[in-house]
Amino acid sequence: MLLKNNFTFKYSVIRGSLKKLRSLKAFVFYILPISLVLGLVFPQASGSLNSLGLSLIQLISFPAIPLVLAAVVLSTHSILTISKSKNQTFNFTSRLFITLSILVIFVSLFALLLALYQKPGVLSPEGKLSIGRYMLDIADINISLATIDGGLTDNFKWFKDILPINIINDASSNETLKVITGSCLMGWGLSLLTIEKAEPLLSFIRSVYEVSLKVLDELLLIAPLVIICLIAGSFATISSEMIVALLNLTICMLLVSIASLGVSRLIYKRFTSSAERQKLPDNPADSVYLLGLSTGSSLACYPAIIKSMEGMGRDTDQSEVAASLSLLVTNMGNIIYNIVAIMFALNLFEVKLSPSILLETLILGIVTGISAAGLTGVSVVPTIGLALTALALPIPPVLVLLLAVDPILTLPRAATTAVLSMAICTICSDRKNSDDSEINTYKANLIEN
Amino acid sequence: MVLLQQLFRSIKRIFFNVIIFSLTLCCLSMPAIAVETIPVEIPYFQKILDRGYFKVGIPSIDTPPFFYFDQKTDQMEGSDIDIVRNLAKNIGVRAVFDRNSKSYNGLLKRTGNDEFDLTIGKLSTFYKRMQDAHPHEYMQFRHALLANRKIISRLQGQVPDNKLAPILLSSGIKIGVIYDSSYVQFASDLFPSATTLTFEDWESCKTALLEKRVDAIYRDATEVKKIVYEEPNLSLDYVPILFDDKIDHISMYVSSKINPDISPMLDFYISQDLGIKSDSQIIDEYSEFFKPSNKSN
Repeated sequence: MLLKNNFTFKYSVIRGSLKKLRSLKAFVFYILPISLVLGLVFPQASGSLNSLGLSLIQLISFPAIPLVLAAVVLSTHSILTISKSKNQTFNFTSRLFITLSILVIFVSLFALLLALYQKPGVLSPEGKLSIGRYMLDIADINISLATIDGGLTDNFKWFKDILPINIINDASSNETLKVITGSCLMGWGLSLLTIEKAEPLLSFIRSVYEVSLKVLDELLLIAPLVIICLIAGSFATISSEMIVALLNLTICMLLVSIASLGVSRLIYKRFTSSAERQKLPDNPADSVYLLGLSTGSSLACYPAIIKSMEGMGRDTDQSEVAASLSLLVTNMGNIIYNIVAIMFALNLFEVKLSPSILLETLILGIVTGISAAGLTGVSVVPTIGLALTALALPIPPVLVLLLAVDPILTLPRAATTAVLSMAICTICSDRKNSDDSEINTYKANLIEN
Repeated sequence: MVLLQQLFRSIKRIFFNVIIFSLTLCCLSMPAIAVETIPVEIPYFQKILDRGYFKVGIPSIDTPPFFYFDQKTDQMEGSDIDIVRNLAKNIGVRAVFDRNSKSYNGLLKRTGNDEFDLTIGKLSTFYKRMQDAHPHEYMQFRHALLANRKIISRLQGQVPDNKLAPILLSSGIKIGVIYDSSYVQFASDLFPSATTLTFEDWESCKTALLEKRVDAIYRDATEVKKIVYEEPNLSLDYVPILFDDKIDHISMYVSSKINPDISPMLDFYISQDLGIKSDSQIIDEYSEFFKPSNKSN
């Protein structure tokens, strides 16, 4: 008993200390300096650091698929069943999609304007030399004349890529996009059943959701270690000249991220009553932003967003739907990142920026950003390949450069997604009021039928 | 007393004269140490030994690190030069280089005409040359293009690199090659739809690429990679495309008249002492030639 108490005490102390590392102060004063020192003093360890970082990401990603599956099923079921009336469902759904569309266009335009001002990718001769040296041998094309013809191209391959085959198989193969689509279909199917028939599976899925959330919460304690490994590995690999050459891109991304925080704070003040704000100690946008920035995972902010909505007295089901869709599908961090990355590529290859090119950049950034739905971390980067091809820009050198700094850029990207997701939940979710009795009556009617 | 001193002086003078005379007698009577010249059985090698040097044909244009005139040492230097010097040393003579040929194919003609014992100089092997002289392969380099990235990305689209070959080979791009070199023939064979433009030398090809008069320039991997190694800033706009299974077989050539005599020695030398080197090995071994030049610093 004493041993158990000692262990519990030590674990809670360790847990508390690790949680403190997930603050902006800890990030600036501890994590970043330690990463820099490790990267500069032990450059030969870059491979090991990267490998360790990616292994830890794999560990943190373990509850991601069950969480996505459960969250989307429950959200879809909620949005289609638990509401006062079909009119209310329609209002929420339309409000959600309109908000998502407006916010996507607004932040995309903002990112484009900021990229035009900041000019990422415009290099000095020394910067161009550094990047050229970095790219030697890496960006060569090796081809073989003995290539077998791949046959006819499938024009509907993109559609097949999002259709689920077998939800268990898709989940085990980490096909997040297929899991999301399959979960939506399952949630819709459950909403068509009577509540007695649906309840056993819903209870099971709710348990999976709770467990996944809890496991994720605990595993995120090692997120600072992941960031140290990845940033140290990145600093060991790329030279200081490269960092300077790509500094503009990093600053641009950081500025957009901070602007997103500003937008979210404004929306929080504008779309909440003073009574709701008094229920929370501070602006939840700040804590969600810092959590995203310090963990590099927008999904890690999901519990914090839901808790904040619950704390304000907002409808939990609607918040879950809004948060799931905005975090997983219309991932605004990816959209903004892709727009900035495309502008980076255009400036790198000195393409003249006409209005038509800018419009094309905006559209391609939004499309490719949404196409990265379900992807996390470094796997987001290759999605801009489609945009680069459409603009007739070479893909390999741009990807090589973006991947070099991705461990750093993934942090503001995640923070942007999380904080804008918070903003969407604030706009779309209804207040929980005394009309809860009407909900219970509606549920009772469902059971009778 | 005076008489005694005179006597001593005389004895000393006589003594020294006797010693000098003896030494001279000894030197004259010593047998001379002469270099033994034992004649060899193969007349061709005897001819070389009698001549005292091994005559080598080299292209006129410097191509470091293979062959070039070094101002500091005031003689020919390079990997090909070292190969020939070592071979000549093994035979027992020195190597003498002839750089008077005006073109690569002209050099092969002179070889076939028996003007040289051997011709070397990063010379490709192909059928037309083999009609003039006999090749002995000693290096293998991958064919390579240095191409404008934007042109390639327009052709490639979303096609992965491992499926680019059919698209590239059937494209109508403009390719620059050195006039009267093997790559004129290679370009015609590999890129039937492309427009091939010839230039005086490799530097002119590079200038044409940078001025966008051509979309790509075509040579072996060592020359293509050297451009981006010397000027790394170019690797942003220009991409080396390496053909992994299209090999440029680099050979030294001898005339049909002397090939029967020299061939066994040459093949032995290549297989036992040299080995057939690849472009990657050359780039590694001669890395000082694949570094940024002063103009890019």
